[in-house]
Amino acid sequence: MKEDLKNIKEKVLADFATYISPMKVRTMKSAALDIVEEKRDGASVWDITGKKYIDCQTGSGIMNVGRHNREIVEALKKALDTYDIGVFLLCSKQNADLAKKLAEITPGDLKCTMFGVGGGEANDAAIKIARGFTMKTEIIYADKAYHGHTGFALSAIGRDEYKKPFEPLIPGFKMVPFGDAGAIEKIVTDDTAAVILEPIQGEGGINIPPDDYLKKVRTICDEHEVLLILDEVQTGFARTGKMFASEHWGVVPDIMTIAKSLGGGLYPISATIFTEEIMDFFIPHPFIHLSTFGGSDLGCIVGLETIKFIEKHHLADHAVEMGKLFRKGFDSLLRDYPDLLLEVRQKGLMMGLQFTNQSIGPRMSKKLSERGVIAIYTGNNPSICRLMPPLIITPKEVDIVLNALEGSMKELSQESGIGKED
Amino acid sequence: MATEKEILDALADYQVQCNNNKRLRRMQRDWSKLLHFVAEDTGDVFTMNVVKGEIISNEAGAKGTPDIIVTTHSESLCDMFWGDLNPSQKYLDGEIRVKASQEDVVRLDAITMIIWPDV
Repeated sequence: MKEDLKNIKEKVLADFATYISPMKVRTMKSAALDIVEEKRDGASVWDITGKKYIDCQTGSGIMNVGRHNREIVEALKKALDTYDIGVFLLCSKQNADLAKKLAEITPGDLKCTMFGVGGGEANDAAIKIARGFTMKTEIIYADKAYHGHTGFALSAIGRDEYKKPFEPLIPGFKMVPFGDAGAIEKIVTDDTAAVILEPIQGEGGINIPPDDYLKKVRTICDEHEVLLILDEVQTGFARTGKMFASEHWGVVPDIMTIAKSLGGGLYPISATIFTEEIMDFFIPHPFIHLSTFGGSDLGCIVGLETIKFIEKHHLADHAVEMGKLFRKGFDSLLRDYPDLLLEVRQKGLMMGLQFTNQSIGPRMSKKLSERGVIAIYTGNNPSICRLMPPLIITPKEVDIVLNALEGSMKELSQESGIGKED
Repeated sequence: MATEKEILDALADYQVQCNNNKRLRRMQRDWSKLLHFVAEDTGDVFTMNVVKGEIISNEAGAKGTPDIIVTTHSESLCDMFWGDLNPSQKYLDGEIRVKASQEDVVRLDAITMIIWPDV
């Protein structure tokens, strides 16, 4: 039986390599991450061969409410008895219900929503809205930023590797270091439409800015009549201990983008949320930006149920509590493995372990996988292991992850190639 | 039937309403068009010049080459400029005919929605 399952897995990987991506299979195999997901439940996922893992990758924050959340699955099943995705040109109750809820839970005067399918699409829309509303062209973005792989969003990514092969990109994008408000002040002009930032950079390596950063950026934007776009795709929905990370610093953007966990891990949906004043841009252009599958009726039902689940189970508070347990373990690791672990960056359950060199991130991913934990280094910085477990993770599961980290680091500390690079 | 003077009075009021509405001016700031309004029952024609969302002039007679031609009964023209009728509804009923791009048709309706939200 076990052999049969192994054979099935090999066949899946072979087909994946043949028809989708041979290099992805090769890379995943070498990192012991050639996991073919089968059963999913809570904080855990089971490989097709039956091996159990705690998922600390969660598609970089798709699964805040846990894997295959049963309450939301039931809501989706019930919705499927009556609805399909809906016709995007018509007005929909499900759209209206979710948009109203988003206006309630987002900070300040954010009120109007444009739905999409994924985070890149939401950021594309945000940048288009900023240009259309302000009639200005320049977009300021941050080094190491990640906003998605689509057109406008790609132009705002702070990593050349993702962009170079596709040049020329959309003109008018200017990069600044993340966390330095003064750098924005220096390059903002009368033609700057917007500054786009993640409150905490995810793909860039869990980079948490100085406490006064976003407030300063907000002030600069106000002084120069520039819109502030905050990309909460990874940081949103209680991940950092608040419903949205920008709330930690009391900053309200003009446009906020959300995606990932809005879909409850079950149905893709994203949203670009903006003020009523910005909505005026769409009054003479009501059909200027459309999305066939964006804000499908089923996605909106899932989105609403996901938010209800987060509120009902106080996941923001739980993220803070579980974050504290993790922090205790991280402090021990920092003490015990100074040649391996340089720094821990953490806000709630958005956590990044900064290792002493670039080879350690991938090696840790492998060792963690062998110990039943999925945690993958960040795309823009392989010396950082990103941990973004489901927010429903239990104290017992936190212990399992910490033990896996301890075991992996103990083993790594006895190998060559650790310590700071020259 | 509305007289030329009545229509010009209504247009003058419409001009004030539009130009004094900051929200509308901001919204329409990328819109410059020459419009002809044709009263089909009297044969009168009126020209409106909009530059960057501001109505620069309204005058009797067909001046220049229009981007948009709106044709309807003289009474409907008056009612439209006084905010007494929903032009979108009348357009769909066939009582108002507009020769313009669909985007410009939406723009005209958006102006009404902003100035008279209850119409």
